[in-house]
Amino acid sequence: MRELVLSVFLLSLLLSCEPAEKRATSGKLYVVATTGMVADLVQAIGGSEVEVDALMGPGVDPHLYKATQGDLSRLQEADLVVYNGLHLEGKMGEVLEKLGQRKSVVAVSEGVSVEKLLQDTLFSGNYDPHIWFDVSLWATAIPVVTAALIREDSTRRDYFMDRATQYAVELEGLHNWVRDTLQVLPADRRVVVTAHDAFNYFGRAYDVEVRGLQGISTLSEFGLRDRVDLVNFLVAKDIKAVFVETSVSTKNIESIIEGCRQKGHAVRIGGNLFSDAMGAAGTPEGTYIGMVQSNVRTLIQSLNAE
Amino acid sequence: MTMDAVYIILTATLFSISCGLLGAFLLLRRMAMVGDAIAHAVLPGIVIAFLISGSRESVWMIPGAASLGVLTTFLIEFFHRRAGLQTDAAIGVTFTALFAVGIILISVFAGQIDLDQDCVLYGEIAYVPLDVWMTASGEVIGPKALFIALGLLVLNVLFVVLGYRQLLVSTFDPAFAAASGISVVLWNYLLMGAVSFTTVAAFNSVGAILVVALLVVPPATAYLLTHSLKRMLGLTVLFAFLSSACGYVLAVALDGSIAGAIVTCAGGLFVLVWVTQLLLRRKPAKELHPLT
Repeated sequence: MRELVLSVFLLSLLLSCEPAEKRATSGKLYVVATTGMVADLVQAIGGSEVEVDALMGPGVDPHLYKATQGDLSRLQEADLVVYNGLHLEGKMGEVLEKLGQRKSVVAVSEGVSVEKLLQDTLFSGNYDPHIWFDVSLWATAIPVVTAALIREDSTRRDYFMDRATQYAVELEGLHNWVRDTLQVLPADRRVVVTAHDAFNYFGRAYDVEVRGLQGISTLSEFGLRDRVDLVNFLVAKDIKAVFVETSVSTKNIESIIEGCRQKGHAVRIGGNLFSDAMGAAGTPEGTYIGMVQSNVRTLIQSLNAE
Repeated sequence: MTMDAVYIILTATLFSISCGLLGAFLLLRRMAMVGDAIAHAVLPGIVIAFLISGSRESVWMIPGAASLGVLTTFLIEFFHRRAGLQTDAAIGVTFTALFAVGIILISVFAGQIDLDQDCVLYGEIAYVPLDVWMTASGEVIGPKALFIALGLLVLNVLFVVLGYRQLLVSTFDPAFAAASGISVVLWNYLLMGAVSFTTVAAFNSVGAILVVALLVVPPATAYLLTHSLKRMLGLTVLFAFLSSACGYVLAVALDGSIAGAIVTCAGGLFVLVWVTQLLLRRKPAKELHPLT
């Protein structure tokens, strides 16, 4: 029986595999975050006393993230798991919620009061998860993370508290900077057109009109009328630039540019905005603050042109 | 081997045996891609379930998906039988139309909600050990998906064992079946019902690609080696286990997607078996006599 020989060979291969490598216990708190933004927030508060891993790397669309075997062991070994919540992580959010029965799991969106969340007009209870683009809203997640870190390691309470206060001041500064910087643009130029609806909180907080071609779901195809509407809007308002996102395909937004060109209105791609994922680690855009600054600079440069 | 590894391999194996047993019959009926059809066609089901409930919790999504799964298989069977379409055409017509209805429903009603199979229905096999059943005192019994897989396997084995003769005859010789008083239509619908429940439950626990592949690849590999239905079912079980176990090892080695690795191994096994046969210059297995 050839299949028998084969199966014995493959079984022995299987049994010879070593148990998963254990992480070196450094005595530091080990925190696993879902998105880069959440990981950055935890790192900002935890400083050198925590080790943070993000499951979704730079440029990864949370809608398309696929878990690896290593992600499972990271989650199992974590002292604390932090995620965004509000269904950003999709079905994984449900799994994390259940994991919460056995270990510390926190959603940063817990810190945001419900009245401040953007709710779907038709279906109450379904909220827009992209809370990080209103810096003042994102800052309300600081206490949630701080409390969770202290609960896991109360000996470093003061350290965490100090850093949290400091980071809150930094984010307040960032919030004011974004608001003031965008005021440079005349009100009718403060328009962000992108591929999918990630910037609604940003628009509300900084008085910017936001138009997305696609809905929040990356599966919702835009209708023909949506496209015509958007083209007419760009022509009527004389908007010169639309934006692409680092984690979403540019194909759809290019069809808008083409539509405008046919109507004799030149629109170009104003640049890359970071939406659902941050830039590469080690670059300025690899942190939350750097990512927000980069987006604002890109907007100013493109919309203020000529 | 860690406990997590055991849970994952066991869950994958149990699901793959369920899928393989049903898949063997699907393959022989030229309906192997019905799993892929169901994966797409459940979309309107979850959208409608959401429109009714306003919630994206699995409690609502699974019944929505399951009812569309059953509808899909019934429509395929119906078009094949009543409209005289070939099975592949019946599958194609049904699932593309249903998927399209789902897309339209999303863009009209729920464009601002993140709603698709990936984010509300498909599970992830890597996370199987994270969602466990616990006793009231907080003791962990084991992953939920493992028990679901076990329950499904028991049902599917019972179905195939108890209905073996009926399934066999209605697959190979409908005329003979009718003559001996076996309702071909009933057994076709029963098989399709079993397929849709198994796939939807498996989608929710371990994700789509794994299920679609496990319905086809292990039975196809077994079909290379034998055309006797009993041996084919036995070999399917063996290949289902081997794919799951090797796939897990591969995923650990690469720190990659477990589902991806399992399907890759299943495909690798298929090629391996085929090449081995070529090298041994064995004649292809004889055509299966209708009633062996």
